[in-house]
Formats: sequence, C-alpha cells, structure tokens
Amino acid sequence: MMTAQMIFLAIFGAAAVWFGVTVFRTHSMVRSALALLFSQTSVGAMFLTMQAEFLGVLQMMMMATEMSVMAIFMVMFMMDPGGMGEMNMTHQKRLSLWAGAIGLLVALAVVYFVDWGPEAVTVPGAAQQVRYLGFELLGRSMFIFESAGLTILTAMIAATAVAITPVRKAGEE
Amino acid sequence: MGDEIVSSVLVLISLGVAVYLVAVLEAWSVGGRFRLAGPAYAALSLIGRESILPRKSDRLFFEAGPVLLLMAALLSVAVIPLSPDLIIVDLATGALFLNAALAYVLVALIMAGWGPNGAYGMVAGWRFLGQFIAYAMLIVMPITAVAMRAESLATTAIVTSQEALWNIVYQPLGFVLFVVAGMGLTFLPPFDLPIAKGDLAGGVEAEYSGARLAVLRLGRMVLIVAVAGATVTFYLGGWLGPVFPPWVWNAGKILAVSAAMLLSGRYMPRVREARYLAICWKLGVPLALVNIFLVGVIALVVPI
Repeated sequence: MMTAQMIFLAIFGAAAVWFGVTVFRTHSMVRSALALLFSQTSVGAMFLTMQAEFLGVLQMMMMATEMSVMAIFMVMFMMDPGGMGEMNMTHQKRLSLWAGAIGLLVALAVVYFVDWGPEAVTVPGAAQQVRYLGFELLGRSMFIFESAGLTILTAMIAATAVAITPVRKAGEE
Repeated sequence: MGDEIVSSVLVLISLGVAVYLVAVLEAWSVGGRFRLAGPAYAALSLIGRESILPRKSDRLFFEAGPVLLLMAALLSVAVIPLSPDLIIVDLATGALFLNAALAYVLVALIMAGWGPNGAYGMVAGWRFLGQFIAYAMLIVMPITAVAMRAESLATTAIVTSQEALWNIVYQPLGFVLFVVAGMGLTFLPPFDLPIAKGDLAGGVEAEYSGARLAVLRLGRMVLIVAVAGATVTFYLGGWLGPVFPPWVWNAGKILAVSAAMLLSGRYMPRVREARYLAICWKLGVPLALVNIFLVGVIALVVPI
C-alpha cells in the first residue's frame, strides 16, 4: 500500500543512500564529512516518518554534532589545516568491495530470515514512547549501553593519544 | 486545523516584529544611536547591493550556509510557546527538538565559513566548531535538569511546571550556565569568535555581500530571538504572569532577555577559544552535573 508515509520514507531513504555515495565520490574531507552528516540526518527523517519522534530528533541532533567533530578531527590529523586540499576518499578498494558485498548480503539475510513478530497496528504516542525508552535504557539495556559508551570513550581517548606526537618541554632530553 | 494555521501565522508575525526590534537594539548597543528605521535601511541597502560570488568557491556550501542558518533558527522557534495556544507545533519532544535544530547552526556556520574558499571565513568556521565543543554540553545539561522538574520534554509542560516557582529561582545555577552557553551559541560578544570584528575582518561574514549577507544576518537575529525565547521558556516562566495577557508577558520577557544578552557582553574583552573551552569544561560541566544532582534531590524531597 502506497501511502504518503511510504513515499516520504522512500524519498528520505534514497537521500540517505545518495549522500552516502557522495561521501566516497568527493575529493574533500570536509565535503565528505558533511555528506555523511546529511546522510545520517536523512536516516533521522526516516525515523520521524516512521513515527519514532524521539529517536528521529535524537538522531538528527547527535549526528549534526558528531559528524562535525569528526570533520575537525580529520582535518587536524591529516596535515591539512582547513581541509582545503584534495584527497582520495577511497582506499583498500578490493577489501572494501568484498566487505561491502558481504555486509549487504548479511543485512538482506537478516531482513528476510528474522522473525520480526506481529506487525504493530497502533503506535504509542510520542510522550509514551519517550517513557518506554527511558525504562528500557535504565532497565534491561542499561548494561549494554553503559559498556558501549565506555568502550567508545576509551577508544576515542586512545586514538587521540596514539595520534598526537608527544611534545617535550624545554629542559628535557 | 484552521486554528493551528492562525496561531502559526500569529507566531511568525510576532517573530518578525521581535527580530526587527532586536536588530534595532543591536544597532543601538553597537553604534550608540537609537534609530527605529535603521534595520530597514540596512536591509534595503544590502538587498540592493551586488552579491559577489568568490572565485573558486564551493557554490553549494556557499549558497546553503546562510539559508541553513535561517532554517535552523526558524525550526527552533517552532517549539517555543508564546502563550498556551500560540505555538507552531507542541511536540512531545520539544526541548530535545530545540537542541537538534540549534545543532544545525554549527553545520551552517562551517558550510558558510568553508564554502567561499577564503582564509578568514574558513578560520572563523572552524573556530565556531571549537566554540561549539565548549558550549554544547552546557546547553544540553541544564535543559536535562529543566525537563527533570517538568517530567516532560514538551515546552508547554515545562512552562506550566514553573507555575509555583520560576526555574531561575529553582535552579539558578542552570540558568547562569544556559545563558553563558546561549551567548556562545548566538556568537554574541564576548564569544563572537566566528565573526570577530577587527580580528578576522568579519570572519564567516567576510566573503558574503548583498542579499546573501542579508540572509546570514537575518538568520542570526532569528537565532538570538530563539535563544532568548528558549531562556524565557525554560527559566523565566514563559507566558506566566499576572494582569496582562500571556503573550504580552512572554514578548516582554523575550525582548528583555535579548537586550540583556546584547548589552552584557559589550563591556568584556573577547574570550579566547582555549580559555572558553577551559572554563566550560573544567568549571561549567562539573557545575552542570551538580545542578542536575541538586534538582534531582529537590524534586524528590520537596516537590513544588
């Protein structure tokens, strides 16, 4: 059934894919990062069309900030102050193609072979969704989210520590 | 449906008036002369002037930057209630939506700064990203405490939760942090690093002229009104007040907050990027956590 909801979902989905392709077709770190940003924003818009208001708004907020921060990290560590220079955004092409193809197959397999349960007929109101999500995050899923958050933080600090050159103070060897 | 359209139009008209008045106030605070027709003349002269396109610019970023800034500011206005009925959309996640919309101010300034392929703009755009890293947590964490008291993210529920006591008294720490972060977000002095007059020759605005500059400046004015509106909604009881109708109270408070934000920074030297980052992370973030803890304890012990 083609409803307006489906049409908008398809448009935002296509936008997400198109921006995703742009990430690798451009030759600039900044354009690439912002294309990734808008790709993720489109995914947020898809959440909104699927009536998951909190998730959609959260996705849009987090991705706008995260991708911009990623952009400045790229620019800082790539010896290209300002990100004005050209660079090829693809590397390890053979490996990437294989990884991409296998990833696609796995995703399709999950889509078709997983039992998704009965279709939701009514969607709870946005405020109710926030409430359910809160109980989920601070209950059953708390350990998963906390450990994931801590892992990401550790990875960020470790990556930065590895990437920067140690500065010796005057007077040291 | 008809009522919603009427209230949306009314909100937009009042936004237009507020933006104009804030522009008058800004010109007054900068130039020292009160001219009611000033912004109209300035807008006309900008629109009449040639809008120069820099050579080798990234056309898409260059054109999209100012428009995205205006859009982000307008979207954040959409969830600010002027009175119980005068609101464009009363989202259940209003306070979070406001945050999400304001996050795109950063994206807009990076695009506008990087797009023209000029040194001043580019430096200013990246500077704003640094500034963002400083203020971002201090926008989100005080709002968390506000939502904790209201037990809702809807902006109308946040206003009604302050019926007994405004949040400025209930959580003064959060108010101070939010205003300092809000001034960073609207890049008002002393946090005007991305347009730094006399330092970066206008920064993000340096390469813009004519109608495009007019859109960029308009976007910033709407942004100032939006952040003032958010401050009033979250901390100063929104439309609450005796005798006068709700919208009068709200409009008066928003204009007063805008004026305070415009004036207060004028008497301080511009804060350096590193210093702003240090203050926000070493002092601001711990204070914001203390604020969340205190509000949590108060909300559990003495519910008002």
